[in-house]
Amino acid sequence: MDVNFRKIDIDQYDEDALLDSELYEADPRDPAQALNEVKQKAAAVRSSLSKGDVVGALTLVLEDAPYGPNVEEAKNLNLQTLVSILNSTKATEIPGVVKALSTDAQDTLMKYLYKGMALPGWGDVSGSVLLGWHEKLTEIAGTGCIVRAMTDRRIV
Amino acid sequence: MAPPEVFSLSQQTPVTCHAFNADRTQVAVSLNSNEVLIYAREGNDWRVIDTLTEHDKPVTSIDWAPRSNRIVTSAQDRNAYVWQQSPDPQTGHMVWKPTLVLLRINRAATYVRWSPNEDKFAVASGARAIAICSFDPEGDWWVSRLLKKPIRSTVLSVDWHPNNVLLAAGSADMKARVFSAYIKDVDKKPAPSVWGEKLPFNTICGEYASPSGGWVHGVAFSPSGDVLAFASHDSSVTIVYPGGPAVYTIKMSILPLVTLTWTTEESVIAAGHDCQPLVFSGNQGGWELVGSLDDPQSNKSSGGARSGFAGASPVGRLNSAAFNTFRNAAERGISNVPGSPTASSSTESELFTVHQNTITSVRPYDGVPGNITRVSTSGVDGKLVVWDVSAVTPIGATGLAGKLGKMQLR
Repeated sequence: MDVNFRKIDIDQYDEDALLDSELYEADPRDPAQALNEVKQKAAAVRSSLSKGDVVGALTLVLEDAPYGPNVEEAKNLNLQTLVSILNSTKATEIPGVVKALSTDAQDTLMKYLYKGMALPGWGDVSGSVLLGWHEKLTEIAGTGCIVRAMTDRRIV
Repeated sequence: MAPPEVFSLSQQTPVTCHAFNADRTQVAVSLNSNEVLIYAREGNDWRVIDTLTEHDKPVTSIDWAPRSNRIVTSAQDRNAYVWQQSPDPQTGHMVWKPTLVLLRINRAATYVRWSPNEDKFAVASGARAIAICSFDPEGDWWVSRLLKKPIRSTVLSVDWHPNNVLLAAGSADMKARVFSAYIKDVDKKPAPSVWGEKLPFNTICGEYASPSGGWVHGVAFSPSGDVLAFASHDSSVTIVYPGGPAVYTIKMSILPLVTLTWTTEESVIAAGHDCQPLVFSGNQGGWELVGSLDDPQSNKSSGGARSGFAGASPVGRLNSAAFNTFRNAAERGISNVPGSPTASSSTESELFTVHQNTITSVRPYDGVPGNITRVSTSGVDGKLVVWDVSAVTPIGATGLAGKLGKMQLR
Protein backbone atom coordinates (compact mmCIF):
# COMPACT_ATOMS: atom_id res chain seq x y z
CA MET A 1 0.00 0.00 0.00
CA ASP A 2 1.21 3.45 -0.76
CA VAL A 3 1.76 5.08 2.61
CA ASN A 4 2.65 8.45 1.21
CA PHE A 5 -0.91 9.50 0.55
CA ARG A 6 -0.61 12.16 3.21
CA LYS A 7 2.00 13.90 1.11
CA ILE A 8 -0.35 14.32 -1.85
CA ASP A 9 -1.04 17.99 -2.38
CA ILE A 10 -4.83 17.92 -2.25
CA ASP A 11 -4.97 21.70 -2.41
CA GLN A 12 -4.05 21.56 -6.10
CA TYR A 13 -7.62 20.47 -6.81
CA ASP A 14 -9.09 23.31 -4.75
CA GLU A 15 -9.46 26.55 -6.65
CA ASP A 16 -9.97 28.41 -3.42
CA ALA A 17 -7.02 26.90 -1.53
CA LEU A 18 -5.57 28.93 1.30
CA LEU A 19 -1.92 29.58 0.51
CA ASP A 20 0.82 30.14 3.07
CA SER A 21 1.55 33.50 1.50
CA GLU A 22 -1.92 34.72 2.45
CA LEU A 23 -1.33 34.03 6.12
CA TYR A 24 1.48 36.44 6.76
CA GLU A 25 3.16 39.41 5.20
CA ALA A 26 6.21 38.33 3.26
CA ASP A 27 9.66 39.61 4.15
CA PRO A 28 9.91 42.80 2.09
CA ARG A 29 13.62 42.33 1.38
CA ASP A 30 14.88 40.39 -1.64
CA PRO A 31 17.29 37.50 -0.95
CA ALA A 32 20.45 39.40 -1.90
CA GLN A 33 19.54 42.38 0.26
CA ALA A 34 18.65 40.15 3.22
CA LEU A 35 21.93 38.28 2.93
CA ASN A 36 23.83 41.53 2.75
CA GLU A 37 22.18 42.86 5.89
CA VAL A 38 22.87 39.63 7.76
CA LYS A 39 26.54 39.76 6.76
CA GLN A 40 26.82 43.31 8.04
CA LYS A 41 25.14 42.28 11.26
CA ALA A 42 27.55 39.38 11.70
CA ALA A 43 30.43 41.85 11.59
CA ALA A 44 28.71 44.21 14.04
CA VAL A 45 28.02 41.27 16.37
CA ARG A 46 31.70 40.34 16.43
CA SER A 47 32.63 43.82 17.51
CA SER A 48 29.88 43.87 20.16
CA LEU A 49 31.03 40.51 21.50
CA SER A 50 34.62 41.68 21.70
CA LYS A 51 33.34 44.45 23.97
CA GLY A 52 31.41 41.90 26.01
CA ASP A 53 28.03 43.37 25.04
CA VAL A 54 25.97 40.18 24.73
CA VAL A 55 22.58 41.90 24.95
CA GLY A 56 23.51 44.33 22.20
CA ALA A 57 24.79 41.51 20.00
CA LEU A 58 21.66 39.42 20.51
CA THR A 59 19.36 42.36 19.87
CA LEU A 60 21.20 43.01 16.59
CA VAL A 61 20.70 39.44 15.41
CA LEU A 62 17.10 39.16 16.54
CA GLU A 63 15.88 42.49 15.18
CA ASP A 64 14.53 42.30 11.63
CA ALA A 65 15.61 38.69 11.35
CA PRO A 66 15.06 37.38 7.82
CA TYR A 67 12.07 35.04 7.46
CA GLY A 68 10.09 33.25 4.80
CA PRO A 69 10.83 30.77 2.05
CA ASN A 70 13.19 32.70 -0.25
CA VAL A 71 15.98 33.76 2.05
CA GLU A 72 17.42 30.40 3.19
CA GLU A 73 21.03 31.57 2.86
CA ALA A 74 20.46 34.66 4.99
CA LYS A 75 18.46 32.66 7.56
CA ASN A 76 21.24 30.09 7.97
CA LEU A 77 23.95 32.70 8.30
CA ASN A 78 21.91 34.56 10.91
CA LEU A 79 21.45 31.33 12.86
CA GLN A 80 25.20 30.73 12.82
CA THR A 81 25.84 34.24 14.07
CA LEU A 82 23.27 33.73 16.82
CA VAL A 83 24.73 30.40 17.90
CA SER A 84 28.19 31.95 18.10
CA ILE A 85 26.75 34.42 20.62
CA LEU A 86 24.96 31.69 22.57
CA ASN A 87 28.10 29.58 22.73
CA SER A 88 30.24 32.41 24.00
CA THR A 89 27.89 33.37 26.86
CA LYS A 90 28.51 31.98 30.33
CA ALA A 91 25.59 29.97 31.75
CA THR A 92 25.33 32.26 34.77
CA GLU A 93 24.89 35.32 32.56
CA ILE A 94 21.99 33.89 30.55
CA PRO A 95 19.06 34.94 32.81
CA GLY A 96 20.22 38.55 32.90
CA VAL A 97 20.70 38.65 29.15
CA VAL A 98 17.29 37.13 28.44
CA LYS A 99 15.56 39.55 30.82
CA ALA A 100 17.12 42.50 29.02
CA LEU A 101 15.63 41.47 25.67
CA SER A 102 12.32 42.85 24.39
CA THR A 103 9.31 40.52 24.18
CA ASP A 104 9.61 40.39 20.41
CA ALA A 105 13.30 39.54 20.63
CA GLN A 106 12.53 36.79 23.16
CA ASP A 107 9.98 35.29 20.76
CA THR A 108 12.47 35.37 17.90
CA LEU A 109 15.17 33.83 20.09
CA MET A 110 12.79 30.98 20.92
CA LYS A 111 12.21 30.40 17.20
CA TYR A 112 15.96 30.16 16.61
CA LEU A 113 16.44 27.77 19.53
CA TYR A 114 13.85 25.41 18.06
CA LYS A 115 15.35 25.80 14.60
CA GLY A 116 18.76 24.92 15.97
CA MET A 117 17.43 21.89 17.79
CA ALA A 118 15.65 20.73 14.64
CA LEU A 119 18.72 20.75 12.42
CA PRO A 120 20.23 17.31 11.89
CA GLY A 121 23.54 16.85 13.68
CA TRP A 122 23.28 20.03 15.71
CA GLY A 123 22.24 18.16 18.82
CA ASP A 124 25.78 16.85 19.23
CA VAL A 125 27.48 20.17 18.65
CA SER A 126 25.45 22.66 20.60
CA GLY A 127 22.50 20.69 21.97
CA SER A 128 23.29 21.36 25.62
CA VAL A 129 23.85 25.06 24.95
CA LEU A 130 20.51 25.38 23.17
CA LEU A 131 18.71 23.47 25.93
CA GLY A 132 20.31 25.66 28.57
CA TRP A 133 19.10 28.81 26.85
CA HIS A 134 15.70 27.24 26.29
CA GLU A 135 15.33 26.50 29.99
CA LYS A 136 16.21 30.04 31.05
CA LEU A 137 14.14 31.65 28.31
CA THR A 138 11.08 29.61 29.29
CA GLU A 139 11.53 30.55 32.95
CA ILE A 140 11.43 34.22 32.03
CA ALA A 141 9.15 34.44 28.98
CA GLY A 142 6.86 31.55 29.91
CA THR A 143 5.00 28.98 27.86
CA GLY A 144 3.38 31.81 25.89
CA CYS A 145 6.74 32.39 24.22
CA ILE A 146 6.88 28.73 23.12
CA VAL A 147 3.31 28.95 21.83
CA ARG A 148 4.22 31.99 19.73
CA ALA A 149 7.28 30.21 18.31
CA MET A 150 4.94 27.43 17.21
CA THR A 151 2.12 29.55 15.76
CA ASP A 152 4.13 32.15 13.92
CA ARG A 153 4.32 31.43 10.19
CA ARG A 154 7.16 33.89 9.74
CA ILE A 155 9.68 31.09 10.02
CA VAL A 156 13.24 32.18 10.69
CA MET B 1 -15.35 39.55 47.43
CA ALA B 2 -17.67 36.60 47.29
CA PRO B 3 -16.00 33.28 46.52
CA PRO B 4 -16.88 31.76 43.15
CA GLU B 5 -19.90 29.47 42.96
CA VAL B 6 -18.69 26.15 41.55
CA PHE B 7 -21.05 23.59 40.05
CA SER B 8 -19.86 20.27 38.72
CA LEU B 9 -22.27 19.46 35.91
CA SER B 10 -20.36 16.47 34.66
CA GLN B 11 -17.49 14.35 35.92
CA GLN B 12 -16.35 12.76 32.70
CA THR B 13 -17.26 15.02 29.83
CA PRO B 14 -16.43 18.62 28.95
CA VAL B 15 -18.98 21.40 28.92
CA THR B 16 -18.63 22.61 25.33
CA CYS B 17 -20.72 25.73 25.81
CA HIS B 18 -23.35 27.16 28.11
CA ALA B 19 -26.13 29.74 27.97
CA PHE B 20 -28.29 30.96 30.86
CA ASN B 21 -31.89 32.09 30.55
CA ALA B 22 -32.86 35.66 31.40
CA ASP B 23 -33.39 35.22 35.16
CA ARG B 24 -30.50 32.71 35.52
CA THR B 25 -32.76 29.98 36.90
CA GLN B 26 -32.00 27.67 33.99
CA VAL B 27 -28.93 26.92 31.93
CA ALA B 28 -28.58 25.16 28.59
CA VAL B 29 -25.34 23.26 28.11
CA SER B 30 -23.81 20.83 25.70
CA LEU B 31 -21.73 18.08 27.28
CA ASN B 32 -19.77 17.49 24.08
CA SER B 33 -22.60 15.42 22.60
CA ASN B 34 -25.42 15.90 20.11
CA GLU B 35 -27.85 16.74 22.91
CA VAL B 36 -28.58 20.05 24.59
CA LEU B 37 -29.36 19.66 28.28
CA ILE B 38 -31.42 22.24 30.17
CA TYR B 39 -30.72 22.36 33.89
CA ALA B 40 -32.91 24.11 36.45
CA ARG B 41 -31.43 25.49 39.62
CA GLU B 42 -32.52 23.89 42.89
CA GLY B 43 -30.81 25.63 45.76
CA ASN B 44 -27.15 24.97 45.19
CA ASP B 45 -27.66 22.24 42.67
CA TRP B 46 -28.66 21.90 39.07
CA ARG B 47 -31.10 19.25 37.84
CA VAL B 48 -31.73 18.26 34.22
CA ILE B 49 -35.31 19.18 33.32
CA ASP B 50 -35.20 18.96 29.54
CA THR B 51 -33.15 17.41 26.77
CA LEU B 52 -33.21 18.91 23.31
CA THR B 53 -32.44 16.20 20.77
CA GLU B 54 -32.53 17.13 17.14
CA HIS B 55 -28.87 17.50 16.18
CA ASP B 56 -27.08 14.34 15.13
CA LYS B 57 -23.50 15.57 15.61
CA PRO B 58 -21.90 17.29 18.60
CA VAL B 59 -23.44 20.64 19.50
CA THR B 60 -20.88 23.44 19.20
CA SER B 61 -22.66 26.50 20.54
CA ILE B 62 -25.83 27.63 22.30
CA ASP B 63 -27.38 31.05 22.82
CA TRP B 64 -30.50 31.88 24.82
CA ALA B 65 -32.30 35.11 23.90
CA PRO B 66 -33.24 36.79 27.18
CA ARG B 67 -36.38 38.69 26.09
CA SER B 68 -37.95 36.42 23.47
CA ASN B 69 -36.91 33.29 25.44
CA ARG B 70 -35.75 31.43 22.34
CA ILE B 71 -32.74 29.13 22.21
CA VAL B 72 -30.59 28.80 19.13
CA THR B 73 -28.14 25.91 18.79
CA SER B 74 -25.49 25.07 16.22
CA ALA B 75 -23.71 21.78 15.65
CA GLN B 76 -21.16 19.91 13.61
CA ASP B 77 -24.03 18.47 11.56
CA ARG B 78 -24.04 21.81 9.65
CA ASN B 79 -27.42 22.75 11.08
CA ALA B 80 -28.84 25.29 13.45
CA TYR B 81 -32.18 25.06 15.24
CA VAL B 82 -34.27 27.72 16.89
CA TRP B 83 -36.13 26.33 19.91
CA GLN B 84 -39.34 27.86 21.19
CA GLN B 85 -41.53 26.82 24.10
CA SER B 86 -45.11 25.92 23.32
CA PRO B 87 -47.76 23.91 25.22
CA ASP B 88 -47.97 20.23 24.40
CA PRO B 89 -51.47 19.50 22.97
CA GLN B 90 -51.92 16.37 25.12
CA THR B 91 -50.43 17.24 28.48
CA GLY B 92 -50.46 21.01 28.42
CA HIS B 93 -46.84 21.12 29.63
CA MET B 94 -44.51 23.58 27.98
CA VAL B 95 -42.15 21.80 25.61
CA TRP B 96 -39.29 23.07 23.44
CA LYS B 97 -40.11 22.84 19.73
CA PRO B 98 -37.28 23.05 17.17
CA THR B 99 -37.35 24.93 13.89
CA LEU B 100 -34.67 24.02 11.37
CA VAL B 101 -32.72 26.92 9.90
CA LEU B 102 -31.59 26.75 6.28
CA LEU B 103 -27.97 27.69 6.71
CA ARG B 104 -26.66 26.68 3.26
CA ILE B 105 -23.21 25.80 4.59
CA ASN B 106 -21.28 22.63 3.78
CA ARG B 107 -19.12 22.40 6.89
CA ALA B 108 -19.73 22.33 10.62
CA ALA B 109 -21.46 25.25 12.29
CA THR B 110 -19.05 26.40 14.99
CA TYR B 111 -20.63 29.28 16.90
CA VAL B 112 -23.97 31.03 17.19
CA ARG B 113 -25.16 34.27 18.79
CA TRP B 114 -28.45 36.20 18.82
CA SER B 115 -28.28 39.84 17.81
CA PRO B 116 -29.07 42.36 20.58
CA ASN B 117 -32.61 42.91 19.24
CA GLU B 118 -33.11 39.13 19.00
CA ASP B 119 -34.48 39.43 15.46
CA LYS B 120 -31.36 37.98 13.80
CA PHE B 121 -28.62 35.55 14.67
CA ALA B 122 -25.20 34.81 13.25
CA VAL B 123 -23.87 31.29 12.70
CA ALA B 124 -20.13 30.92 12.20
CA SER B 125 -18.95 27.90 10.25
CA GLY B 126 -16.08 25.91 8.84
CA ALA B 127 -17.30 26.74 5.35
CA ARG B 128 -15.40 30.05 5.42
CA ALA B 129 -18.67 31.84 5.90
CA ILE B 130 -20.97 33.34 8.50
CA ALA B 131 -24.70 32.81 8.02
CA ILE B 132 -26.78 35.80 9.07
CA CYS B 133 -30.27 34.47 9.74
CA SER B 134 -33.48 36.44 9.94
CA PHE B 135 -37.11 35.34 10.15
CA ASP B 136 -39.18 35.39 6.99
CA PRO B 137 -42.84 35.60 8.11
CA GLU B 138 -44.19 34.77 4.64
CA GLY B 139 -42.31 31.52 4.35
CA ASP B 140 -42.58 31.00 8.14
CA TRP B 141 -38.92 30.04 8.41
CA TRP B 142 -35.49 31.40 9.16
CA VAL B 143 -33.56 32.37 6.04
CA SER B 144 -29.84 33.00 5.89
CA ARG B 145 -27.55 35.28 3.97
CA LEU B 146 -23.87 34.42 3.89
CA LEU B 147 -20.97 36.69 4.76
CA LYS B 148 -18.16 35.15 2.73
CA LYS B 149 -15.55 37.62 1.58
CA PRO B 150 -12.76 37.83 2.55
CA ILE B 151 -12.88 34.95 5.06
CA ARG B 152 -10.19 32.40 4.24
CA SER B 153 -10.73 29.77 6.89
CA THR B 154 -13.03 28.49 9.63
CA VAL B 155 -14.78 31.18 11.63
CA LEU B 156 -14.37 30.37 15.32
CA SER B 157 -16.42 33.04 17.07
CA VAL B 158 -18.67 36.04 16.46
CA ASP B 159 -19.96 38.94 18.53
CA TRP B 160 -22.69 41.49 17.78
CA HIS B 161 -22.27 45.23 18.00
CA PRO B 162 -24.97 46.85 20.18
CA ASN B 163 -26.42 48.56 17.06
CA ASN B 164 -27.70 45.15 15.84
CA VAL B 165 -25.94 45.61 12.48
CA LEU B 166 -22.20 45.17 12.87
CA LEU B 167 -20.67 41.78 13.58
CA ALA B 168 -17.15 40.91 14.71
CA ALA B 169 -15.71 37.55 13.71
CA GLY B 170 -12.54 35.72 14.71
CA SER B 171 -11.19 33.20 12.27
CA ALA B 172 -8.56 30.48 11.82
CA ASP B 173 -6.99 32.53 9.04
CA MET B 174 -5.49 34.53 11.92
CA LYS B 175 -7.64 37.59 11.48
CA ALA B 176 -10.38 39.32 13.40
CA ARG B 177 -12.80 41.22 11.20
CA VAL B 178 -15.74 43.54 11.58
CA PHE B 179 -18.54 43.10 9.05
CA SER B 180 -21.83 44.75 8.34
CA ALA B 181 -24.67 42.24 8.70
CA TYR B 182 -27.32 44.72 7.63
CA ILE B 183 -30.57 43.08 6.53
CA LYS B 184 -32.91 45.44 4.73
CA ASP B 185 -36.19 43.95 5.97
CA VAL B 186 -35.09 43.78 9.58
CA ASP B 187 -32.79 46.68 10.33
CA LYS B 188 -33.26 50.38 10.36
CA LYS B 189 -30.41 52.32 8.86
CA PRO B 190 -27.68 52.35 11.52
CA ALA B 191 -26.27 55.62 12.80
CA PRO B 192 -22.69 56.34 11.70
CA SER B 193 -20.13 55.01 14.15
CA VAL B 194 -16.37 54.67 14.43
CA TRP B 195 -16.70 51.62 12.17
CA GLY B 196 -18.13 53.57 9.22
CA GLU B 197 -21.12 55.39 7.81
CA LYS B 198 -22.48 53.50 4.83
CA LEU B 199 -22.95 49.89 5.81
CA PRO B 200 -24.52 47.65 3.14
CA PHE B 201 -24.38 43.89 3.79
CA ASN B 202 -20.86 42.41 3.82
CA THR B 203 -19.07 45.76 4.15
CA ILE B 204 -15.71 45.11 5.80
CA CYS B 205 -15.29 47.74 8.47
CA GLY B 206 -12.04 46.45 9.88
CA GLU B 207 -9.51 43.64 9.54
CA TYR B 208 -6.88 42.96 12.20
CA ALA B 209 -4.24 40.23 12.16
CA SER B 210 -3.18 38.41 15.30
CA PRO B 211 0.33 39.53 16.25
CA SER B 212 2.19 36.22 15.89
CA GLY B 213 -0.02 34.24 13.59
CA GLY B 214 -2.43 32.55 15.99
CA TRP B 215 -5.99 31.55 15.25
CA VAL B 216 -8.38 34.18 16.57
CA HIS B 217 -10.42 32.22 19.11
CA GLY B 218 -12.57 34.86 20.71
CA VAL B 219 -13.86 38.32 19.76
CA ALA B 220 -15.93 40.86 21.67
CA PHE B 221 -17.18 44.40 21.20
CA SER B 222 -16.96 46.74 24.16
CA PRO B 223 -20.31 47.79 25.69
CA SER B 224 -20.35 50.96 23.56
CA GLY B 225 -19.33 49.00 20.48
CA ASP B 226 -16.50 51.41 19.78
CA VAL B 227 -13.68 49.07 20.82
CA LEU B 228 -12.90 45.51 19.76
CA ALA B 229 -11.01 42.92 21.77
CA PHE B 230 -9.79 39.57 20.52
CA ALA B 231 -7.82 36.65 21.93
CA SER B 232 -5.64 34.53 19.68
CA HIS B 233 -3.68 31.31 19.86
CA ASP B 234 -0.33 33.09 20.03
CA SER B 235 -1.06 33.76 23.73
CA SER B 236 -2.02 37.33 23.09
CA VAL B 237 -4.94 39.66 23.61
CA THR B 238 -5.43 42.58 21.23
CA ILE B 239 -7.56 45.66 21.86
CA VAL B 240 -8.48 47.76 18.81
CA TYR B 241 -9.59 51.40 18.89
CA PRO B 242 -10.62 51.97 15.27
CA GLY B 243 -11.22 55.67 15.76
CA GLY B 244 -7.83 56.22 17.43
CA PRO B 245 -6.51 54.49 15.51
CA ALA B 246 -4.69 52.49 18.13
CA VAL B 247 -4.08 48.78 18.51
CA TYR B 248 -2.80 47.43 21.84
CA THR B 249 -1.39 43.93 22.02
CA ILE B 250 -0.65 42.13 25.27
CA LYS B 251 1.65 39.17 24.75
CA MET B 252 1.35 36.82 27.67
CA SER B 253 3.75 34.37 29.26
CA ILE B 254 1.04 31.75 29.68
CA LEU B 255 -0.99 29.42 27.48
CA PRO B 256 -3.44 30.96 25.00
CA LEU B 257 -6.84 32.37 25.89
CA VAL B 258 -9.85 31.28 23.87
CA THR B 259 -12.81 33.31 25.11
CA LEU B 260 -13.38 36.81 26.40
CA THR B 261 -16.08 39.25 27.46
CA TRP B 262 -16.18 42.92 28.44
CA THR B 263 -17.37 43.81 31.94
CA THR B 264 -17.07 47.59 31.64
CA GLU B 265 -15.89 49.91 28.88
CA GLU B 266 -12.41 49.64 30.39
CA SER B 267 -12.08 46.02 31.44
CA VAL B 268 -12.13 42.62 29.80
CA ILE B 269 -12.25 39.14 31.31
CA ALA B 270 -10.61 36.41 29.26
CA ALA B 271 -10.02 32.72 29.88
CA GLY B 272 -8.69 29.67 28.11
CA HIS B 273 -6.00 27.02 28.31
CA ASP B 274 -4.54 28.41 31.51
CA CYS B 275 -7.71 27.42 33.41
CA GLN B 276 -8.32 30.75 35.14
CA PRO B 277 -10.25 33.88 34.16
CA LEU B 278 -7.85 36.80 33.75
CA VAL B 279 -8.75 40.45 34.08
CA PHE B 280 -7.38 43.03 31.65
CA SER B 281 -7.99 46.72 32.03
CA GLY B 282 -7.07 49.87 30.22
CA ASN B 283 -8.31 52.66 28.02
CA GLN B 284 -7.30 54.55 24.93
CA GLY B 285 -3.91 55.17 26.51
CA GLY B 286 -2.93 51.53 26.98
CA TRP B 287 -3.91 48.14 28.31
CA GLU B 288 -2.47 45.67 30.81
CA LEU B 289 -3.13 42.40 32.56
CA VAL B 290 -4.17 43.29 36.10
CA GLY B 291 -5.07 40.02 37.74
CA SER B 292 -7.03 36.82 37.94
CA LEU B 293 -10.47 36.05 39.34
CA ASP B 294 -8.97 32.80 40.56
CA ASP B 295 -6.38 32.64 43.31
CA PRO B 296 -4.26 29.54 42.79
CA GLN B 297 -1.82 30.49 45.57
CA SER B 298 -4.48 30.66 48.30
CA ASN B 299 -6.19 27.57 46.97
CA LYS B 300 -2.90 25.80 47.31
CA SER B 301 -2.20 26.96 50.85
CA SER B 302 -5.68 26.03 52.00
CA GLY B 303 -4.14 22.59 51.90
CA GLY B 304 -5.98 19.38 52.72
CA ALA B 305 -8.92 19.37 50.38
CA ARG B 306 -6.79 20.36 47.44
CA SER B 307 -4.03 17.89 47.94
CA GLY B 308 -2.56 17.14 44.56
CA PHE B 309 1.12 17.86 44.40
CA ALA B 310 1.08 20.43 47.15
CA GLY B 311 4.61 19.49 48.13
CA ALA B 312 6.00 19.87 44.66
CA SER B 313 6.74 23.14 42.95
CA PRO B 314 3.71 25.32 42.21
CA VAL B 315 3.63 24.69 38.54
CA GLY B 316 0.13 25.58 37.44
CA ARG B 317 -0.91 23.99 34.23
CA LEU B 318 1.96 21.62 33.71
CA ASN B 319 1.35 19.78 36.96
CA SER B 320 -0.88 17.28 35.26
CA ALA B 321 -1.07 13.53 35.36
CA ALA B 322 0.11 13.27 31.78
CA PHE B 323 3.09 15.54 32.42
CA ASN B 324 4.11 13.64 35.52
CA THR B 325 3.76 10.32 33.76
CA PHE B 326 6.05 11.58 31.03
CA ARG B 327 8.51 13.04 33.51
CA ASN B 328 8.65 9.83 35.51
CA ALA B 329 9.26 7.90 32.34
CA ALA B 330 11.98 10.27 31.21
CA GLU B 331 13.79 10.77 34.50
CA ARG B 332 13.27 7.61 36.45
CA GLY B 333 12.43 5.08 33.80
CA ILE B 334 9.07 4.44 35.43
CA SER B 335 6.46 3.67 32.87
CA ASN B 336 2.89 3.61 34.01
CA VAL B 337 0.84 1.33 31.85
CA PRO B 338 -2.56 2.94 31.55
CA GLY B 339 -4.97 1.08 33.76
CA SER B 340 -2.33 -0.42 36.01
CA PRO B 341 -3.11 0.01 39.71
CA THR B 342 -0.26 2.37 40.45
CA ALA B 343 -0.95 4.67 37.53
CA SER B 344 -3.94 6.42 38.99
CA SER B 345 -2.85 6.59 42.60
CA SER B 346 0.66 7.89 42.07
CA THR B 347 0.23 10.34 39.23
CA GLU B 348 -3.22 11.78 39.65
CA SER B 349 -2.98 15.46 40.29
CA GLU B 350 -5.13 18.47 40.84
CA LEU B 351 -4.52 21.97 39.60
CA PHE B 352 -4.60 24.80 42.10
CA THR B 353 -7.09 26.68 39.97
CA VAL B 354 -10.85 26.23 40.35
CA HIS B 355 -11.21 24.95 36.81
CA GLN B 356 -9.20 21.80 36.32
CA ASN B 357 -8.96 22.12 32.55
CA THR B 358 -9.35 24.58 29.69
CA ILE B 359 -12.14 27.13 30.06
CA THR B 360 -14.24 27.02 26.90
CA SER B 361 -16.58 29.93 27.44
CA VAL B 362 -16.89 33.04 29.59
CA ARG B 363 -20.15 35.01 29.51
CA PRO B 364 -21.80 37.86 31.43
CA TYR B 365 -23.96 36.53 34.28
CA ASP B 366 -25.12 39.49 36.36
CA GLY B 367 -25.37 43.24 35.75
CA VAL B 368 -26.09 45.38 32.72
CA PRO B 369 -23.86 45.84 29.66
CA GLY B 370 -21.16 48.29 30.71
CA ASN B 371 -21.37 47.22 34.34
CA ILE B 372 -21.21 43.44 34.58
CA THR B 373 -20.83 42.32 38.19
CA ARG B 374 -20.57 38.57 37.74
CA VAL B 375 -19.48 36.29 34.89
CA SER B 376 -19.96 32.58 34.30
CA THR B 377 -17.40 30.16 32.86
CA SER B 378 -17.64 26.59 31.68
CA GLY B 379 -14.77 24.26 30.99
CA VAL B 380 -13.45 20.97 29.71
CA ASP B 381 -13.45 19.75 33.34
CA GLY B 382 -17.27 19.69 33.29
CA LYS B 383 -17.55 22.61 35.71
CA LEU B 384 -19.75 25.67 35.55
CA VAL B 385 -18.48 28.52 37.72
CA VAL B 386 -19.95 31.92 38.56
CA TRP B 387 -17.34 34.57 39.50
CA ASP B 388 -17.62 37.94 41.18
CA VAL B 389 -15.70 40.28 38.89
CA SER B 390 -14.64 42.54 41.75
CA ALA B 391 -12.71 39.70 43.42
CA VAL B 392 -9.50 40.25 41.49
CA THR B 393 -6.27 38.73 42.73
CA PRO B 394 -3.60 41.12 41.51
CA ILE B 395 -0.73 39.85 39.45
CA GLY B 396 2.51 41.75 39.72
CA ALA B 397 4.63 42.56 36.73
CA THR B 398 6.44 39.28 37.14
CA GLY B 399 3.66 37.31 38.79
CA LEU B 400 2.50 35.02 36.06
CA ALA B 401 5.89 34.51 34.55
CA GLY B 402 7.34 33.93 37.98
CA LYS B 403 4.81 31.30 38.80
CA LEU B 404 5.41 29.46 35.58
CA GLY B 405 9.09 30.07 35.86
CA LYS B 406 9.38 27.50 38.61
CA MET B 407 8.35 24.80 36.19
CA GLN B 408 10.56 21.80 36.04
CA LEU B 409 11.41 21.61 32.39
CA ARG B 410 14.02 18.93 32.54
